[in-house]
Amino acid sequence: MNSTTFRLITGLIIGLVVGLIYGWILRPVEYVDTAPDSLREDYRTDYVLMVAEAYAGDGDLDLAQIRLAALGPQPPVEIVVEAIDYALKQEFGRPDLEALNRLAIQLRSIPPSPEIGGP
Amino acid sequence: MKREDWLPILLGLVIGLAIGLYYSWVINPVEYVETSPASLREDFKSDYLALIASAYAYSGDLGRAEARIAIFQEPNPATTFSQLAQKRLAMSRPQSETRALALMAAALGERPTPLASVPAQTRIVSPSPTKHTPTPTRTPLPPPTRTPTPTPGAPFELLDQEKVCDPDLYAPLIQVVVIDAAGRPVPGVEVLVVWDTGQDHFFTGLKPELGLGYGDFAMTEGTIYTVQVMKSETPITGLMAEDCVGDEDELFPGSWLLTFQQPEFP
Repeated sequence: MNSTTFRLITGLIIGLVVGLIYGWILRPVEYVDTAPDSLREDYRTDYVLMVAEAYAGDGDLDLAQIRLAALGPQPPVEIVVEAIDYALKQEFGRPDLEALNRLAIQLRSIPPSPEIGGP
Repeated sequence: MKREDWLPILLGLVIGLAIGLYYSWVINPVEYVETSPASLREDFKSDYLALIASAYAYSGDLGRAEARIAIFQEPNPATTFSQLAQKRLAMSRPQSETRALALMAAALGERPTPLASVPAQTRIVSPSPTKHTPTPTRTPLPPPTRTPTPTPGAPFELLDQEKVCDPDLYAPLIQVVVIDAAGRPVPGVEVLVVWDTGQDHFFTGLKPELGLGYGDFAMTEGTIYTVQVMKSETPITGLMAEDCVGDEDELFPGSWLLTFQQPEFP
């Protein structure tokens, strides 16, 4: 290895190290201005539970769907089913499971929207 | 070292930085996953807080609501909810949501100190043993502590109407106090204000520092108002800012204090 290559590699390594120190220590990533779809699973489940509780109180299924849409592009019923799975694993209380189930049932009862271009 | 000896090092440095940035920005960019509600963008945070209030309005479980709010480490959650309720009222959000926010603000306002931590008796759920911040709660939970709410179907009646001459008020106000049959303040009661060119509404309990059953509306001088409390059968008409005389004989617009009470059922 000649001295030019050696210096090039030395500079490369220094550059990488500086970049990593800057990115990990001096200015590490700060989680700000995030959206609900990035919530950790327990918070996500609690969010769905709150939607279910709110729905039980106001009976506004449209509002519940809008709130669930903040958790991502999945169909709302799938989001609730995932929350139920997690709630079962974590042994949530019966009232919570019932609220989640009621919301899932109501969401399933919504007729699917007609497909564009069908016969 | 000579100047040209530095060139390969500098070149390597630039290439190294470029590779690092390309990797971190293009190949493997940061993905926001596993975040806490505390990091939510301001509008999402408002939605989240409104959802906490709506869930509380249904369950009446203040302990759980407090645990959820504690994630945000708000210095004065009662004020936060009160301001959010007023903001959302102005945005014409669903009435159930605005009312829930008012109830939440009122329930938190009953507490003598700001909420800063998760109540001791509340269990915490975490998906795995991690070093994360406090997480949402689940059962078993303390028994629900409901804020007094109006008895369904019982109309409020005007108990007292009093002219208020207070030069320190920021504007001539229609001040409304709503109490139940036992004399306890009732938050979350909708009050409709109508005048010849428009109408507006507000809820009691949005200023918990003035009382859980209190709400007010700023009058414009020269305008005549009609006030009707939710489910009240008789509107209060002809309210306007009447002149008051100050200590030095100066005139200033006065306010009205209306007290409504829910009659006892026979």
